Amino acid sequence: MEFAVEMEGVHKTFVFGWPRKKKKHALRGVDLSVPKGAFWGILGPNGAGKTTLLSVLANLLTADQGRVLVLGEDIRTRAMAIRPRINLSSGHANFPWSMTVQENLQYYAMLYGLSGKRRKLKVEELLAIFDLRDFAKTPFDGLSTGTKQKLSLAKALLNDPELLFLDEPTVGLDPDVARRVRETIRTIHREKGTTILMTTHNMREAEILCKKIAFIKEGTIKAFGRPRDLKETLHLGDTVTLFFDKGISLPSLEAMTGIYDLQKADGTCRITVDDHRKRLPQILDFFVRKGVPIRNLSIQEADLEDVFITLAK
Amino acid sequence: MSLSPWQNELTKIKAFAFKNWIMTRRNVFTLFEILFWPVVGFLSVGLLAEFTQLQPEMRAFILVGVISMGAVQVCQLDVCYALLYDVWSKAVKHGFIAPVGIRHLLLGSLIMGVIRGTVVFLILMVASLLLFKFNFMLPGIAPFSLFALGLFLNGAMVGMLVSILVLVFGNRAEVAAWSLVSLMLLVCGIYYPVSILPRWVQLGAELIPLTYFLEYFRQFYGFPPAFSHVLARAYLMVLAYLCLEVFLMKVALRRAKRKGILLKLSE
Repeated sequence: MEFAVEMEGVHKTFVFGWPRKKKKHALRGVDLSVPKGAFWGILGPNGAGKTTLLSVLANLLTADQGRVLVLGEDIRTRAMAIRPRINLSSGHANFPWSMTVQENLQYYAMLYGLSGKRRKLKVEELLAIFDLRDFAKTPFDGLSTGTKQKLSLAKALLNDPELLFLDEPTVGLDPDVARRVRETIRTIHREKGTTILMTTHNMREAEILCKKIAFIKEGTIKAFGRPRDLKETLHLGDTVTLFFDKGISLPSLEAMTGIYDLQKADGTCRITVDDHRKRLPQILDFFVRKGVPIRNLSIQEADLEDVFITLAK
Repeated sequence: MSLSPWQNELTKIKAFAFKNWIMTRRNVFTLFEILFWPVVGFLSVGLLAEFTQLQPEMRAFILVGVISMGAVQVCQLDVCYALLYDVWSKAVKHGFIAPVGIRHLLLGSLIMGVIRGTVVFLILMVASLLLFKFNFMLPGIAPFSLFALGLFLNGAMVGMLVSILVLVFGNRAEVAAWSLVSLMLLVCGIYYPVSILPRWVQLGAELIPLTYFLEYFRQFYGFPPAFSHVLARAYLMVLAYLCLEVFLMKVALRRAKRKGILLKLSE
């Protein structure tokens, strides 16, 4: 398997303060291998090391220790060979304030060596993809947060990167704009096969977009896998709540397989199961056989937010 | 169709010139830097020279200094603006993730520095001729061109030094963009000969190429240089400093990546 990113034992410590120096360990022995063409997410609480991780991969930060290969090249010695093949878009987009959307794209296109007709066509293409044509002549300072974010994404695609880093790409956007930005990111990944590594605080976004999630906390990867696998590993499961007539005596369910947790109260029974699709028919069948009538039921699936909260504790 | 390596290099150099050009056009303060401060400084000094009824050669000495200083100042600002515009707009990381080198930043911003510096030269030269009957072109085209190129390289040298300081100390160091040139004004003999300075300051002046460029140009107005081969000395020195600064900037950039300064400058 070919990897876009290979990190082994990566450490990064920031030293700050004067005269008494303080240390902050941002990454503590991170190992991560991202296959080419993957779309993976990096989740974690504030200050967990997500942005540090992306910055090390984007050659904006140097790791203190460990091995970092990006697109098969060592980031320490081959940075200039890597940089034309990667790009970055971050939330809270910032660009030279007086330059218009079009000028900003032209400027960054030139930094990637695009000239003449090629540059013109690329800028036009990105203005169209991100619905930025109407804002082409608007200075960066005059743009809304959503449009600034679109510009940031457009800039990140100027060089058709093989590896794209997205640092909280929808932070601060209203739900409608965030949804459109997500759709665009997904289309780019699907159509161009770009490897994407994304940090986000938005669990729903990570669940929708990312095939796999690395959960980072205090500089180490605490959990890794598909969102569904993470839920299973953490025994979060789905919660089935059954409602009965008050005062009814409920039979014991403990012997049933796939049950993580069971809480009974007068007239209700909350059962946490590994997978409600598999277990609900068995549960219903059990109560029917025992002659206990069910008045109502509700199902709540565990989501990444539960994973996040459990791991962040 | 892929670009030739030369086209690729030129495009990246052009990028920095393009950014400085757009920012210059759109920001009033950059217009002030070309028109207001150099002209005000020039008029103040020129009128003072008139009032004190200086000998023509003494007046020439001072006016050469003040006109040159205006051009150096504007040129050095353009070179450090290549980085400072990104610092002020918190876009430093977008520049440094791109496949560009320090040579692109230096040459691209120097193009705009030369253009703006030439505009300052032209304005002050015309003003000096009209208001004070002082002919800045007296030495001729070739000496003037050599002198002007030297001044622009001096500007690039100061601009690079400011950029290095910003990469080392963060945006606290941006004040150097305006203060370093003022320090040079004091040391390099803009308004007076270096020989009147204390010996230890003279030693400092001898380490700055601008001192020699001024000596070179003033010889055409009747002030023999205090050093031999002033022009060769000045060019060798300024080119050596620029090479050293390119190296130091690479070191500063590596340090900034180690310390996280690039990220801090983008926050």
